[in-house]
Amino acid sequence: MELEEVSKSYGNHLVLKNINLDFQRGKVTVLVGPSGSGKSTILRSLNLLETPESGKCLFDDLIIDFTKGVNKKELAYVRQKTGMVFQSYNLFPHFSVLGNIIEGPTQVLKLDKKTAIENAKKILKKIGLESKINNYPEELSGGQAQRVAIARSLAMNPEYILLDEPTSALDPELELEVLQVLLQLARDGQSMVIVTHNMSFAQQVADKIVFVEDGDIIYDGEPEPFFKNNKNLRITKFLSSMVLK
Amino acid sequence: MWEIISKALPQILEAGFKYTVPLTLISFFFGIILALFTALIRLTKNNGFFIVIKLFFRFYVWLFRSTPLLVQLFIVYFGLPYLKIKGIAPDGIKLDAFIAGVITFSLNTGAYASETIRAAISSVPRGQWEAAFSIGMTRKQTLKRIILPQALRVSVPPLANSFISLVKDTSLAASITIVEMFEVSQQIAAENYQPLLMYSLVAAVYAVFCTILSWGQGKLESRLGVKSNMKGSDN
Repeated sequence: MELEEVSKSYGNHLVLKNINLDFQRGKVTVLVGPSGSGKSTILRSLNLLETPESGKCLFDDLIIDFTKGVNKKELAYVRQKTGMVFQSYNLFPHFSVLGNIIEGPTQVLKLDKKTAIENAKKILKKIGLESKINNYPEELSGGQAQRVAIARSLAMNPEYILLDEPTSALDPELELEVLQVLLQLARDGQSMVIVTHNMSFAQQVADKIVFVEDGDIIYDGEPEPFFKNNKNLRITKFLSSMVLK
Repeated sequence: MWEIISKALPQILEAGFKYTVPLTLISFFFGIILALFTALIRLTKNNGFFIVIKLFFRFYVWLFRSTPLLVQLFIVYFGLPYLKIKGIAPDGIKLDAFIAGVITFSLNTGAYASETIRAAISSVPRGQWEAAFSIGMTRKQTLKRIILPQALRVSVPPLANSFISLVKDTSLAASITIVEMFEVSQQIAAENYQPLLMYSLVAAVYAVFCTILSWGQGKLESRLGVKSNMKGSDN
C-alpha cells in the first residue's frame, strides 16, 4: 500500500503537502508528530474517509488517482482491504458485542450468520472478551470497548488495520490492555498503521516510524535511529516535549 | 346529569371510533412515511438534479408549517373544487370529506415530523457513519442498519408528541363536515342545550384517548431503550 504525491487541504489550510509513503505488508508503521500535523488525515485517507485533492493511492494493482475522484468499486476494494479503529471506538450502541462484530461479515461479506458467529467467537477469545459477547457497548469499560472495536475490524479480515490514536481516550491501566492486544497482533504479523502519542509503545511495536509535522514527512525509517541520537532539531524537540522533565 | 351523559357518551364514542381514530391513524401513518422520505431527501448531498427536488420539499415543509391547519383543510375541501385543470380535472377537484381530511392531516404531520426525523438523523454522531463505512458498508446499508435505528429511538418522544397533537387536531375536521367526536358533541349540545356539559364530556374523551397514547409511548420507549443504551458511543 502506497501514497504518492498526496496533497489535501481544508479550506486554505494545506494539511498534507505532496507526501510519499509506503506501508509494507506484515509490518507495523507508526505515525507520530504534534497534534494537527496531518497524521490522522494520512490514516483516514488510507481508508478513504478523507479524499485528498491530488496524488495517487496504490493498492496492489489498483491505482486510485485522487484528481479524478474515487468510484464506488475502488471505494469498496480499499475498505475491504483496510479496517479502521477510532479513538472514540464508535461501536454501534444498538447492537451487542456480537452484533457489532458480525455486522460487517454478514452485511458486507454476505457470510452466513452461523459462520460469522463462529469467527466472532474465535476473535473474542483471542482478545479475552468471550464473557462479554452478549453485553452492550455501554456496559463495557473503555479498554474493553476499544478491544471490541479492534475485533470488529479484524472480523472483516482486512490486510491492514488502521488505528487512529486508539488509546488516547483511555486511562493508563486500560490503555495497557489495548496495547497488549495490539502487540500480540503485531507479533502475529498483522499489518498495521498506528497513530499514537505513546512513544514507548511506538518504540516497542514499530517496524517503521514516520514523523509528520505541518503536513510534511520529516522522518521515514527505522525506529532505532529515530529515538536514539537523532540529530534533527524538530524531532528532538518533539521527543523531549513528550517526556515529563 | 348522569342521564344526559349516559345518552350522549355512546354517540360521542361511536363517532370517535368511526372517524377520530381512523382519521388519526391513517393520517399519522402516511404522514410518517412522507416525513421520512422528506427528511432523507433533504439530507442528501447537493448535486445538480437533487437541488431542485430538495427545494421543492423545503417549500412543502415551509408551506405547511407557515399556514394554519384549519385554513389548509378549507383549501383542500372547499377550495380545490374550484381548481379546474383542462384535461385532468375539468370540473375541479372534488374530494370526499374524509379523504380531504386524511390528505391534509398527512401533509401537515409530514411537514412537522420531517423536521423531527431530520434532526434525529443528524443527531447520530458522525463516527457512527465512519465506523460503518470503514467496515465496507454502503451509504444505504449504513442508513438502514446503523443510523435509522438510532435516530428512531431519539425521535420517539417528539413523534409521540405529534401523534397526540394530531388526535386533538382532528377535531378541526368537524368544520369540513366530518362527523367526528367534536361535531357530534356540537350536534347533541344543539339539541339538549347543555353546551358546557357536552363540550366538557368530549374534552374528557379526548383526554382519555391521549392518556392511553402517552402510556403507550412510555411502553414503546422502555422497549426501545430510549433512556439507556444510547450514551457514550462518541465522547
